[in-house]
Amino acid sequence: MLTAYILITLVAVLGHCEDFLGTTLIGRPLVLSPLVGLILGDLGQGIIIGATLELIFMGNIKVGAAIPPDVITGGVLGCAFALLSHKGAAIALTLAIPISILAEMLVSLLFISRATLGARFAAYAAAGDYRGISRLHILSGLLKPLLMGGITFLALLLGAGPLTAALHHLPPWISAGLQVAGNMLPALGFALLMNLMFRKHVAPYFFLGFILAAFMHLPVIAIGGIGVIIAVLVTNGAFSRAGASGTGADPDFDDDFPDTTVATPVAVSGGATDAASGAVSGVATGLISRGILRRIFFRSLTLEANFNFETWQNTGYAFALIPALKRLYPTKESMAQALKRHLQFFNTSPYGCTLIMGISTAMEEQYSKDPAFDPESISAVKAGLMGPLAGVFDSLFWGTLKVIAAGVGTSLALKGNLLGPILFLLIFNVPHLVLRYQLTFQGYRTGARILQKLAGNQVMDKLTLGASILGLMVVGAMPATLMSIRIPIDIGPSGSALSLQSILDQVIPSIVPLGLTFGVYYLVKRNVKTTYLLVGLMALGFVGSMIHLFA
Amino acid sequence: MIKLTRIDDRLVHGQVAFTWAPALGIDCLLVANDKIAGDEFQKMALGLAKPAGTRLLIKSISDTILFLKDPRAETYKILILVNSVKDALLLSEGVAEITSINFGGLRTRPGAQSVSKAISLTPEDLEHIRVMQARGLELEVRQVPTDPKESIAQLC
Repeated sequence: MLTAYILITLVAVLGHCEDFLGTTLIGRPLVLSPLVGLILGDLGQGIIIGATLELIFMGNIKVGAAIPPDVITGGVLGCAFALLSHKGAAIALTLAIPISILAEMLVSLLFISRATLGARFAAYAAAGDYRGISRLHILSGLLKPLLMGGITFLALLLGAGPLTAALHHLPPWISAGLQVAGNMLPALGFALLMNLMFRKHVAPYFFLGFILAAFMHLPVIAIGGIGVIIAVLVTNGAFSRAGASGTGADPDFDDDFPDTTVATPVAVSGGATDAASGAVSGVATGLISRGILRRIFFRSLTLEANFNFETWQNTGYAFALIPALKRLYPTKESMAQALKRHLQFFNTSPYGCTLIMGISTAMEEQYSKDPAFDPESISAVKAGLMGPLAGVFDSLFWGTLKVIAAGVGTSLALKGNLLGPILFLLIFNVPHLVLRYQLTFQGYRTGARILQKLAGNQVMDKLTLGASILGLMVVGAMPATLMSIRIPIDIGPSGSALSLQSILDQVIPSIVPLGLTFGVYYLVKRNVKTTYLLVGLMALGFVGSMIHLFA
Repeated sequence: MIKLTRIDDRLVHGQVAFTWAPALGIDCLLVANDKIAGDEFQKMALGLAKPAGTRLLIKSISDTILFLKDPRAETYKILILVNSVKDALLLSEGVAEITSINFGGLRTRPGAQSVSKAISLTPEDLEHIRVMQARGLELEVRQVPTDPKESIAQLC
């Protein structure tokens, strides 16, 4: 058993290494639970547990500093305990939820205490010691996998025995209750997703997704495909008709109060702009080779390794740029200046960070050649881009791509299909890594010009609208395909009783999951705490199962 | 109608676009900042992050005050973003409709003291906060709308 515990601990360590490995979602339960299943000799059950946990945690994404429950530790331990006691997904998630909430507190503490390393990083920077910065960045990054791995191991060692014994004596009515309670919980995941994506102007697409899934029983992949086609048609149509009319602007109002929609990137003024266009027009050749840019891309994968609550991703940013800085700044003094510059506060979406890194590299090169170039502008451009680009890339990757990947992945994995976790990783990471790689080069070569192009001809508006249509269609399909809640009530005399569920199925199939999802969504909108909703849903399912209202 | 006045040194970004704008049904993001109002590059960058179907206005502090006093501003559901406590104070002095300020994010700066996960305040900030408190404004700390409101007074 000890070997199994050690292997399971390694799975948790791998999951926590996600911050090193490009935030590639390898820490999601859909990916880790099958590995735990494999170790404990039940791959099929591991895949199903992974899908069940993913459904519940899928809305729990990280936006800015809001740290979600630690689904890595919770998921691995929940899955392991359930499999060790030969129980199913219901037990896994009953355990995973409290564990992940407890583990989150530890992770938060780590993010707070990492800030104390700031002084060390600053000292290394002042000495121009880029090796010291790299070393500390990686060491600090190892803290999280090691700490949480240790806790996973301890929990397995101390908890597995008593827990399996206790679970062994679990009365069947509790198991049945937990089963139904677990089937209720995806409603919370869907509602949290809707909270991110549901807007009045795209609401119909949610219902289109629902109808395609509930009435026509299309698989999620097909709905995603239809979603892509509709998104392309709609965005082309909406924007070719009449420029700005889509937003319902009031032209009179605009005349009096000139709007600042970016129309003329020609009128260049202000420090940051000059610098950025300098980086654009600059003859960015010679010093920075393709190899260096490639290294920046690979190093960018560790952007979040030393994530902390004071300076956030700053050391990841400096760590990524070091290959370029080494090439550009041979003296200790100039290196120290550059390191200091890039240890300033930084926070953006990891999926688009290389674009800013490429631009920074071009500007650093400019500065290294031309001492008259104002280095302040390098920081200004970085600071100006990190927020907006975080919005863009988070919405594309968290808001759309991950939803589609999870929709396709969980729908397959719920049937025990190994393709579920594999497709989940591929759908998300192929576009992610290709784009992230390309953006390093784009940022370096064209600098801010690419952004001006994007801002100029409504590419971003098209992209965000298209992405929200596609994402929402897939979310709409979810209550119908990924949630099984029935009402086992018969109506009429016992001889000729009609099952209420079969009547409902004839009118609107999956109306119960849809109604539950909207109910939870309404409460989320009213700012009811997620924890209360979680407990409430579980109680509703549990009690519902006991009084035979739900099954 | 002003739905929220938020201090956030990253101005428009994920938390604003995905959590605040939908939670409050915002149809107009108003960035009030003298420096950015004159910087095409920054305006362009902020334009990228604008959520679909939302208007983005970027105005100087004085233009913002004029804009908010215009009755036609009533037709919009506005989220005002500033990146400093000082700008929030200036706005609240010019616009009576602002009765509450949300502290979303102020990173560490030299001389600033951290009072919560996302908020650091300099002595000048504290000075401005005292002025706003004295005028009876609600000063609350929340990163995302689902956070519980914490009063800034309890934190510093």
